Amino acid sequence: MTNTIKNFKEAKRWQKRHNAHAPQIGELAPDFELRDVEGNHPVRLSNFQGQKPVALVFGSFT
Amino acid sequence: MTPFVRGTVSLHDLYEKYNDRVQFLSIYIREAHPVDGWWLGKGLFGKMLDRFASKAATDVYDPQTMAERRQVARQCSTTLSYGIRTYVDEMNDAVNQAYAAWPTRLYLVGLDARIVYGGGLGPYDFKPAKLDAAIKSYLNQIGAR
Repeated sequence: MTNTIKNFKEAKRWQKRHNAHAPQIGELAPDFELRDVEGNHPVRLSNFQGQKPVALVFGSFT
Repeated sequence: MTPFVRGTVSLHDLYEKYNDRVQFLSIYIREAHPVDGWWLGKGLFGKMLDRFASKAATDVYDPQTMAERRQVARQCSTTLSYGIRTYVDEMNDAVNQAYAAWPTRLYLVGLDARIVYGGGLGPYDFKPAKLDAAIKSYLNQIGAR
């Protein structure tokens, strides 16, 4: 099963659905743990709490 | 969408400027315009991408497994060379969905784990210059200039 977005209409639908729940200024940032491109070096957002502000840069290759 | 350079401020500039005081996390999410999806690699738009966003790939298929996703993320990271370590969202797109991040988006999270800056939906509201201003203002606020 794929969640690949196929066209403009699907893109707008996806954005409308999820943007309604996106964190707003002043709200707690959803915590997560992810690994790097090799599947190593797990990072957890909440580990930086009280240590450093965090800039999140989301994107893909296309 | 590749978080390509937009305007006069690039992500690489921001990283160089602030990485000693701000943790940068680059998060690879579901492809925006893969060949098997909403592909923009053909026709006039494809030619414009080649010319104005030459680092954006136009020949990538949407990864169907975590191994494939990591492989594309690795290629993306190597090509864009921001200097920022890239992390990969899981196949359930949980982080992407939580932040409504697709196709590209910027956030700044404060020391208290709350959102300080949330950029608009990309690509049109993907503006590193606004993130720059937000970081500068926040660092002043917490006395970490």
